[in-house]
Amino acid sequence: MSEKLLEINNLKTHFFTEAGVVPSVDDVSFSIKKGEIVAVVGESGSGKSVTSLSIMNLLDKAGKVVNGEILFDGKDLTKASEKELRNLRGDDIAMIFQEPLTSLNPVFTIGNQMMEPIRLHLKLNKKDAKARCIEMLDKVGIPRAEKVFDSFPHSLSGGMRQRVMIAMALSCNPMLLIADEPTTALDVTIQAQILNLMRDIVEDLGTAILLITHDLGVVAEMADKVVVMYAGQVVEYADVFTLFKNPKHPYTQGLIESTPKINQLYEKLHSIPGTVPNPLNYPSGCRFVDRCPFAMKQCITHEPNNTYTADGHTVKCWLHEMDRIENETLKEKVRN
Amino acid sequence: MSHESQAVVNDISKDELVENRPSSLKRWMRLLWRSKTGTVGLIIVVIALLVAIFAPLIAPYQPQEINPVNMLKPPFWMENGSMENILGTDNLGRDIFSRILYGSQISILVGVMSVVVAGFIGVTVGLVSGYFGGIIDNILMRLVDSFLAIPTILFALVILAIFDSGVFTLIIVLGVTNWVNYARLVRGEVLTLKERDYVKAAHSIGVSNFKIIVRHLLPNVISSFIVISTLSVATTIILEASLSFLGLGVQPPTVSWGSILSDGRDYLSTSWWLATFPGIAITITVLGIIFLGDWLRDVLDPRTQK
Amino acid sequence: MNNYFVRRILQIIPVLFIISFIVFTLVFVAGDPVSLMLPDDAPPEAREELRETMGLNEPFVVQYITYMGNMLQGDFGESYRFNQPALDIVLDRLPATMELAIFAIVIATAVAIPLGIWSATKQNTSLDLIATGAAVIGKAMPNFWLGIMLILLFSVTLGMFPVSGRGTAMHVILPAVTLATGIAAEMTRLIRSSMLDSLSQDYVRTARSKGLKDRIVVYKHAFRNSLIPVVTITFLQTSTLVGGTLITETVFAWPGLGQLLIQAVNTRDMAIVQASVFIIAILVILMNLIADILYRFLDPRIKYN
Repeated sequence: MSEKLLEINNLKTHFFTEAGVVPSVDDVSFSIKKGEIVAVVGESGSGKSVTSLSIMNLLDKAGKVVNGEILFDGKDLTKASEKELRNLRGDDIAMIFQEPLTSLNPVFTIGNQMMEPIRLHLKLNKKDAKARCIEMLDKVGIPRAEKVFDSFPHSLSGGMRQRVMIAMALSCNPMLLIADEPTTALDVTIQAQILNLMRDIVEDLGTAILLITHDLGVVAEMADKVVVMYAGQVVEYADVFTLFKNPKHPYTQGLIESTPKINQLYEKLHSIPGTVPNPLNYPSGCRFVDRCPFAMKQCITHEPNNTYTADGHTVKCWLHEMDRIENETLKEKVRN
Repeated sequence: MSHESQAVVNDISKDELVENRPSSLKRWMRLLWRSKTGTVGLIIVVIALLVAIFAPLIAPYQPQEINPVNMLKPPFWMENGSMENILGTDNLGRDIFSRILYGSQISILVGVMSVVVAGFIGVTVGLVSGYFGGIIDNILMRLVDSFLAIPTILFALVILAIFDSGVFTLIIVLGVTNWVNYARLVRGEVLTLKERDYVKAAHSIGVSNFKIIVRHLLPNVISSFIVISTLSVATTIILEASLSFLGLGVQPPTVSWGSILSDGRDYLSTSWWLATFPGIAITITVLGIIFLGDWLRDVLDPRTQK
Repeated sequence: MNNYFVRRILQIIPVLFIISFIVFTLVFVAGDPVSLMLPDDAPPEAREELRETMGLNEPFVVQYITYMGNMLQGDFGESYRFNQPALDIVLDRLPATMELAIFAIVIATAVAIPLGIWSATKQNTSLDLIATGAAVIGKAMPNFWLGIMLILLFSVTLGMFPVSGRGTAMHVILPAVTLATGIAAEMTRLIRSSMLDSLSQDYVRTARSKGLKDRIVVYKHAFRNSLIPVVTITFLQTSTLVGGTLITETVFAWPGLGQLLIQAVNTRDMAIVQASVFIIAILVILMNLIADILYRFLDPRIKYN
């Protein structure tokens, strides 16, 4: 259980556009253990999706991993060949996306698309592959799997399509499932069903999940650990209970406060003022400085380091780095 | 592109456009400069226009000037060629270079004017058809279908066989046979615009149909219209050349690129330059217009913006 | 779905009606065919008699109704030049035109599909630049001029192909290439842009995330989607294709419908003109209908909307 399945160290992914180089992911590190669910939270543009696409190098032409390592089962994927990556994709690492409608090819049947990875990775013949598809469709709770197998994506509802995506992703028993906003495009009731389904199956198969989302409700429901990203960087990293009980970064605090809660029904909903800075022109100090209620002088000029605390909590903020420095000097004084 | 990077890039270009908006002409020049083909297109088109306007000043000879002692002379770099007739002469000793310069006048005039005629008819039909709908729409659209079923050049041929051909006839004929694209474009746009709230609002407070069309609908179709018209000038220039080549376009002594080409066809085995140079003139001009049109489409049409 | 096609086919009737009306009116305006049919020194009585028998003295409406009635029975009148029913002559020439068109389409598709796909997958590389450059030049060149240049180069200078006419396989190559160039240029541009669009879709990312080879991602997932607009638009351009054949046939003296038609126009053989316009229109309408059917066949989404 404690063995690291995926370890991302100092990942930097840049997009080379006409307007300039966009540092979408800037020095991101975190890890996932076997069977664990890790959520990456952040606003759009925070680099969370790019991080997930970097893992299997599914970035488009403009995007490139420029630094860092991505260790999967001990192997560095940033140095892997395209062929080695292809063997991993869909087999050991599978992905599902935000839009189940556009993520399925409209002109092929569900069966046709589901059989592709099964035949490729499990090397099954047509008949066995079909049986495997039906088995998976059953497993994700699709009624009349035989009929769905032969139908086109457009004849299914959004929830059904996402179930198909999940069935397809899990069909080759991956060790890691990357789910990029898997429920964002779905109705609230369907969201809960899909999340439950994902959790059940993961428990069943022992698959680890990297869950990309902007929704803290989803995080609270699903995740073991949480990575909070802001403007391409990890600002806070903790297990889910610690994070919700004791959020340290002002951004995380703002995020949690801006999530509606039952007992806050009549209060005005909190929102974080301002917007994410332009990625072509990040501030030289802390990237959250413009929106931070606790901003200090050095926040503008100097970027804070990661501060590690006893409970495995990491935060990238001057408030806590100051605390640590004070503590250390205090300790040293005491020792002397 | 993935959504993420797409969103990032969009944000940047938006920001950048907002920041750099000193004057709209300057902005356009910047956008133009960014596209190499767009720049080349504009340069070609400007040169072609200047040539057409100033042909009498540039051309060393009159286009109809016959010189019997100087027949079928090759271009200057060949044996027997001379700088007197840099692109050679035809079977009547007329200077090919001068004829091409003068020919540009008719080719461009017909190309542009017939697009104006076609645009006028097409936009009117499209607006009426899309705005009023119902029976009128049905009848006009069947008319559009009918025109679509007959190849433009065939239609033009039949009409030109009946009426005396000349520059004016040619403009009208090419206009009348080419309006369909505009009608369909404008009708489609109007149908979607009609459902917009501001048009409904204008209607509900009693603004007249004519005013709604002119104030609210017309401005919205202009950018697509400009793109289609530009590219349409290119095809019309080719069409005019084809008709003149078949002997049904402009009649002598008027010259167009197509008619020079047609004259040269009979001397293909001995004097290749007669048919070659006017064709090159057409190709380069049309190429320039296509480049310009493609660029305009990329800039004006938000749907193709990348 | 069935309703749609019933409506679609019913719409053809008024269209054919309008076309017949336009063509008839043009011919009516064109004036007296009698002067063309009789020698210049024919006595006025003879002219009047011919007019009377041809029904040319009747009012416009009566003439039009007679014309429609005849046409519905497949009678487009007689060609005064050939002294044969116009429709027979036109149908006689059709196979030659079809032969040319089919050769051209085969050549164009064979060139445009790989070129369009390559330039899309290798966007902004030198290969893409060459392909798009070639396509835009192919589009800018007047068809007939290209034909003349090909004759100049391959027939006159190199003597590889016959200058004109129809018969052997050698005869068809130059006119087919001429005609194919314009189509291929248009098709390459179309395939390229439609492939670029498909390749940026989410399902392509899904396909890649499944570990599929690039070849399968491009040729199966992206291309199959690109095919929808490409096939549809290609069929919808039948009208342009026919227009191209008219000119190409004239350049190469290819004995097809186009050559016949242009001769008929020059000699004011209106029966032939009417019959050819009608046959061509029907052909175009038929192809547009096929485009519609193919579109529905290629895109399973239609059924559910």
